[in-house]
Amino acid sequence: MKATAWIAINVFRESVRDKVLYNLVFFAILLIGASYLIGQLTAGQDVKIIKDLGLAATSIFGVFIAVFIGIGLVSKEVERRSVYSLLAKPIHRYQLLIGKYCGLVLTLIVNVSIMAAALYVVLAYMSWGVPPAAARIWDAPALDPALLKATALLLAELTIVTAIALLFSTFSTPMLSAAMTFGLYIVGHFTNDLRNFADLVDSPAAARLARGLSWALPNLAQFDVRADVVHGLPVSFGYMGLASLYAAVYVAMLLAISVLIFSRRDFK
Amino acid sequence: MRARSASAIVAAAVFAVMMVGASIELQAVRDRFYPPRELDEDTLYIQSGPMMRRLTVAYNALAADLYWIRAIQYYGDGKRRLASQARVPDPPPMIAAPTSDAYSMLYPMLDLTTSLDPRFNIAYRFGAVFLAEPYPSGPGRPDLAVKLLEKGLRERPDKWEYMEDIGFVHYWYDHDYRAAAEWFRKAGEMPGAPWWLRSLAATTLAQGGDRQSSRTMWEAIRQSSENDWLRLDAERRLLQLQALDQIDQLQAEIDKYARRAGAPATNWSTLVRARVFPGMPVDPTGTPYALDGGRVTVDPSSRLWPLPQEPRRADSRPPS
Amino acid sequence: MPALATFELTKDYAIGFWRKRPYRALDGLTLEIAPGEVFGFLGPNGAGKTTTLKLLMQLVFPTSGRAEIFGRPLGDLSVKRRIGYLPEHPYFYDYLTAEELLTYFAGLFGYAGAERRARAARLLDEVGIGAERRMQLRKFSKGMLQRVGIAQAILNEPELVIFDEPMSGLDPLGRRDVRSLILRLRDRGCTVFFSSHVLSDAEALCDRVAILARGRLAAMGRLTDMLPFRARGWDLVVAGVRDETVAALGTRVRRAVRLSDGHYMLDLPPDSPPERLVGELTAGGAHLVSLNPIRQTLEEFFVEHVTTPAAAGAPRDVEPPHGRRP
Repeated sequence: MKATAWIAINVFRESVRDKVLYNLVFFAILLIGASYLIGQLTAGQDVKIIKDLGLAATSIFGVFIAVFIGIGLVSKEVERRSVYSLLAKPIHRYQLLIGKYCGLVLTLIVNVSIMAAALYVVLAYMSWGVPPAAARIWDAPALDPALLKATALLLAELTIVTAIALLFSTFSTPMLSAAMTFGLYIVGHFTNDLRNFADLVDSPAAARLARGLSWALPNLAQFDVRADVVHGLPVSFGYMGLASLYAAVYVAMLLAISVLIFSRRDFK
Repeated sequence: MRARSASAIVAAAVFAVMMVGASIELQAVRDRFYPPRELDEDTLYIQSGPMMRRLTVAYNALAADLYWIRAIQYYGDGKRRLASQARVPDPPPMIAAPTSDAYSMLYPMLDLTTSLDPRFNIAYRFGAVFLAEPYPSGPGRPDLAVKLLEKGLRERPDKWEYMEDIGFVHYWYDHDYRAAAEWFRKAGEMPGAPWWLRSLAATTLAQGGDRQSSRTMWEAIRQSSENDWLRLDAERRLLQLQALDQIDQLQAEIDKYARRAGAPATNWSTLVRARVFPGMPVDPTGTPYALDGGRVTVDPSSRLWPLPQEPRRADSRPPS
Repeated sequence: MPALATFELTKDYAIGFWRKRPYRALDGLTLEIAPGEVFGFLGPNGAGKTTTLKLLMQLVFPTSGRAEIFGRPLGDLSVKRRIGYLPEHPYFYDYLTAEELLTYFAGLFGYAGAERRARAARLLDEVGIGAERRMQLRKFSKGMLQRVGIAQAILNEPELVIFDEPMSGLDPLGRRDVRSLILRLRDRGCTVFFSSHVLSDAEALCDRVAILARGRLAAMGRLTDMLPFRARGWDLVVAGVRDETVAALGTRVRRAVRLSDGHYMLDLPPDSPPERLVGELTAGGAHLVSLNPIRQTLEEFFVEHVTTPAAAGAPRDVEPPHGRRP
């Protein structure tokens, strides 16, 4: 447990040194630049657009970090043989895997939290001095705490994406892992379509296959409540709880498979 | 050695800056000799909302924002282009008649925007205003404006604002006061709707279209307005109503002069010299009125131009 | 209880992309290493040395057979706590400094903060790169990385160290440093098991060696007991010696080559001890330049003892084989 935490902390430290957090600078520039430009362009809806943009950018940056660091977490150690001296230390292989995973999730939490804070700062600046009458047209207040709900569910989604990247990287090449993880990420947003597809096809076998896939593939669309939050619609804690639980179960499943593969692997 | 590498860096930097400058200048020269083709903004590669929703995966809302910004620019561009062109055909095109394809992509863009983000409030409300505006400030398609707002209502059936807006479109652009009153009534029955909607419904039904009720309505909008754009628009409408009143008065004087002189006045200086007016009359924005074949209108350069169609009611009351 | 024991340890790798066929990298290796012993694991490249060490570190898993360290099965964390491992051509994280790497690894042993830093500093000094502790590892030369690798392998004061080619990538000075480090470890009571493809490394250090060829154990024991590795004569180089003196030596030298004026290379037979001849020559005013035993190299050993005509290369003029055959 201690060793796992130590590995996780070092993944975080390494990612900081690897200039991963530089993306935050881009995020800030993007947000500030956009808020200036959009303020010039559109009437009244700049707060909505900045929320959309901020949350979408948080999500995109998060997914890219999860995928591109996730696929390298273990495969880079194996490829460069640094895993040899690492595994000679008194740790189990699963501890290495879980530690690496937790380290990246920690990095993502810090990263996404800073982005959320930056979004609030920009929103605070934009809504500064806006008369209450003008603010009434907004679907939700500028500094809406519900944005945190969207951020939290995004993090839940990222834990799954990270686990997918980690799983692929335990047995595949980085390029292929990245491609497959992005593929699953996109498919994961269409599992509902897949379910509808099952109702449309005539062949019972195809329908069964589509239905089976729709349940087995990661359902990532459920974590996207950004539109609801931006439009001020309620996102209940019950929904968030169930979605988070789903993420936890799915991550546990993915990590179990990863551990299974990784523990039996020969490092030739 | 060090000094040499430093001067090399400076030289490289100067060179790079010069090249950037040269590339900019070259583009300007090229554009002068070979003017770039007008960007074909009228192309929407994908018009199907559901297809676009799938293509943008988890980022529908952001895509909607982009299309909304594009729609605003498209509308603004069209308006500017038409305003800078030769004077619009006279008489002004009839309401509800599609007259030009200058705005032909406006509805598809708004439709796409609202399909990507079905709760994009402002895209419905402002979009409807854009669509309903008579040519040349808009495509003059109140039917599409109503269609867009009804799409919004399907998504959010409790939005009284959309009902109110449909009522306005019927009132202002269709002059269908019965339909307008019906929508105002519906809107007023929704929870959270302002009190004055019910009285507006009543007034509209009783005396729809007259200047006084219009003034009441725009005044209500101006005071309740939630954003600058709508408030400024309402203020402009009020000024237009004021201009209509002034024109009626001016026209009466001019007609009186014409009867006296036996010929219509052709320009303001004649009237000023005849002491009909103390000076050249100006509209509420300070722009002189135009005098065209004995008829007073606002000048096309005025912010108030074009004036709304006067109600075509049989029992139109004389101007107050 | 042996420090390390393997029992019929066998490893097959699947090779080929489509139709995989097994390739036996290690075939039934059984050996025992006593506590406190310095044990050399010799063999040419590709003999299965690294595979054996990886099996011991559980970086790969055996096809059959087993191994024990300190009488316990591999993979036991209490065992891992007591051993150190230097992989072949060690590689670490580019962006960490040597100090950070060792601190990180020390944390995996559960040492607390101050202890981690103290250990890192002490070990970097011990392997002679204390001055470069704040340098990022990507700037390290191969030899420096090898030293970092050794430092991380002895971070926990292990009772058994497993070094894979500890001398590779090192200059003569570095080889000498590693040799003296292995002797220091031995003096501390640490068991040392290291692989090498260079006989002289083992000669200077090892109590016993095992020689591996094509995955099989070819020989095991003390190097001095292994007939093929006994001196087959001596190479003596002297200077300041008169031509007549050399001529007078007669049958006491097998061959004399005049290198330059008064400078001779003498080929002495193995049966007469060279010390007396050296004494006589130096007494006559000559001085000793060098004295080296002539013996079979590992490569020559394999050429003769392992039937790999294709891989062996051209045989050289050596005595007919008279060691034991595997």
